[in-house]
Amino acid sequence: MPGLDNIGGDSISASLVRAAFLAQTRLRAFQYRTARRYMDYHALSASLELFKPGAIVPWVSYLFPTELLTAYQLTPLIPEVAAATLMGSELRQTLEAALTRLPLARDVCSYHRTALAAVENNLLPAPTLCLGTTPLCLGKECLLEMLAIRHGVPFREIKVPSPPDEGEASPQVVSEVAEQLRELHEEIGRLTGRKSELKKAIVLSNRASAAWGKIMAERMAGRLELDGRRTFAIVFLGQLLWGTEEGAKDFERLLSERGRRDVLIPTPPPGQKLKKLLWLHTVPHHDHSLFELIRERRAVVLFEEMGQMHMNVIDPDNPFSGLARRLTDNVLWGSSARRARLNVALAKHLRVDGVVHFNHWGCRHGLGSVPVLQVAFREAGIPFLAIDGDALARGGPEHERSRQALESFLELL
Amino acid sequence: MHPMTCPYVTQLIAQASKVLGQPDFPKVGGAKAAMSPSAPESSAAEVPESGSATATGHRVVVPGGCDAMRRLGDQLAFLYPGRVFVMHVPRSSEPRAVSLFAGELARLRSWLCTPSTGHGEERTINPPAVHYPRPPKAGGVFLIAGPVSDSSLLELIYRLGADVAGLESCTSPDRWQLLLKEGGESLPGSEVEYRELAARLLQLGMCPRRSTEERLAYLRQRLQETRASSVIYARQSFCDPGAYDALGTAELCRELDLPYLELEVDFPFDSSGPLRTRIEAFLEAQLLDESLLDDDLFANIDNNLFADTDG
Repeated sequence: MPGLDNIGGDSISASLVRAAFLAQTRLRAFQYRTARRYMDYHALSASLELFKPGAIVPWVSYLFPTELLTAYQLTPLIPEVAAATLMGSELRQTLEAALTRLPLARDVCSYHRTALAAVENNLLPAPTLCLGTTPLCLGKECLLEMLAIRHGVPFREIKVPSPPDEGEASPQVVSEVAEQLRELHEEIGRLTGRKSELKKAIVLSNRASAAWGKIMAERMAGRLELDGRRTFAIVFLGQLLWGTEEGAKDFERLLSERGRRDVLIPTPPPGQKLKKLLWLHTVPHHDHSLFELIRERRAVVLFEEMGQMHMNVIDPDNPFSGLARRLTDNVLWGSSARRARLNVALAKHLRVDGVVHFNHWGCRHGLGSVPVLQVAFREAGIPFLAIDGDALARGGPEHERSRQALESFLELL
Repeated sequence: MHPMTCPYVTQLIAQASKVLGQPDFPKVGGAKAAMSPSAPESSAAEVPESGSATATGHRVVVPGGCDAMRRLGDQLAFLYPGRVFVMHVPRSSEPRAVSLFAGELARLRSWLCTPSTGHGEERTINPPAVHYPRPPKAGGVFLIAGPVSDSSLLELIYRLGADVAGLESCTSPDRWQLLLKEGGESLPGSEVEYRELAARLLQLGMCPRRSTEERLAYLRQRLQETRASSVIYARQSFCDPGAYDALGTAELCRELDLPYLELEVDFPFDSSGPLRTRIEAFLEAQLLDESLLDDDLFANIDNNLFADTDG
């Protein structure tokens, strides 16, 4: 009986496996008809195309402006998203076995180790080109370039200077990054032999951004309360869909009560108030116990740091500056002091009761800024907790320690 | 620092804190503190305890070549506003990277020239001293490492009866060079001069954090020119560039048919215990291979076989 490990290739069984896998997700989307479920379906549907023989497979970094790819009808393969998706599927065991054999240091980011193990074992399609951005971390640039060398494909990197601690990146910096994006956009066309429809991609991306920006503005104003954990999933998968018709529709679905009903925070029992948390960095994708604990303790993740993406529209006639600005001034880029300043301001604005930082396994970028965040939140008088974990793991002793720490933290709040 | 931080960076932050004295604990996004006068000669090594408790006029430059170093710089800059310069170091030496780095060097110079108040006790800080105990010998073991604290890894190889063909480490002897000729060249002033300096600096350190393609080409050349007989990679724990570099080096060694051993090491480097045993076993295995392949040995076996048949 063919399983998910037969997902690649052009055999009939591979096609059937892909169709069956997709059918489950499509069924859920049609049943629930929410933005989140549709996004699952559309992201998966687009990604499964990458497994077909002859597909152009661009492996890209998490913050890569994917509109440059959708302009050429290309779907990005983002290692972090791919690794998280596979680890949540029935391929998990196969992948875990592959990870134990992988000759890459175990202290490296688990998203990247998993993506490498997956491509080495034909659980992900090999890259046709690898496109990086210096934001956010160095590890994924090392991964992308190494993969490019192994598979004999081009590697290109958008170099983005760090923004100042206060204020915006200078117009000169934005212009330099925009020029790199413009050159790369042209090069993708040369490499793939396809014709670009960048303006169309930007218009579609803007529809999604307008919807998402409105949702985020409502959240910031306190008029809309979404569950940060579930909203994180939307943004995470949404990275695959910016600039597509499906992505535009899915983000727009969030504007209706029906479309967002599965991401709303639960209503507290009468007379009770939920404690509000701000969640920093990534989340454990497949272990829900921390969030169950939060719910049990009558708390809720009100906002997630990583949701602050693509909230402004871009000029379709001059897209590169807007795309560049998204990179140069991304909230997750820059110094630890900048990150601390932005998050302290966010926490104050949202009047959260506490802040939780998820120390993802092997993430030097995230872990390295925790000492500064700790001092900053202490100075601001906002309770802060950093918990260790692996975004792709399920359980384990480290997770148990984090659960205990979170339990004590919630009690203190 | 989080325990998953590269131990070299952990050491550096401790040493830099000694240089800088008591932190100012600034407000988030607060005002920049006044500049201090003297610039340190270097910040990478042992600092006497004497200066630890008081605020000094020293400043620290952090080349942020990897995430851990960048975050180290962030932390210091946060605790000592205005006294720490975090410099962004690109991975490659292509023209745009050179240009960006030239801008960083110009920014560094202007930061160093900023007038300041206060005075720091003058002191010289020496970087980790790694040297070849004996001249490298073609055909020996080639060592690749991240930052190593001293020459004990090389000495261990010699003690185990092998030769060293070469060393490529973040603290290799050839890494410490003056960028400008003493008393000769003047500091760069124009954009072109900064670009030249940036290009020279980027050529100097073809270390694990550099572009994989450039780094592997460089390692291939080094292994071939030194006619290395095997490779030992002393990989620093919690180092992303080192981890990917080790993976690439292992593949390179397979391609060149060179025996390869990867070790996870700490900083400071400790050459005793299990590490020594692993290196010893690796070197012995090679000696064994060589003796088994020895023509005389096969000749003897053949003779004995014939002798038995005749008998």
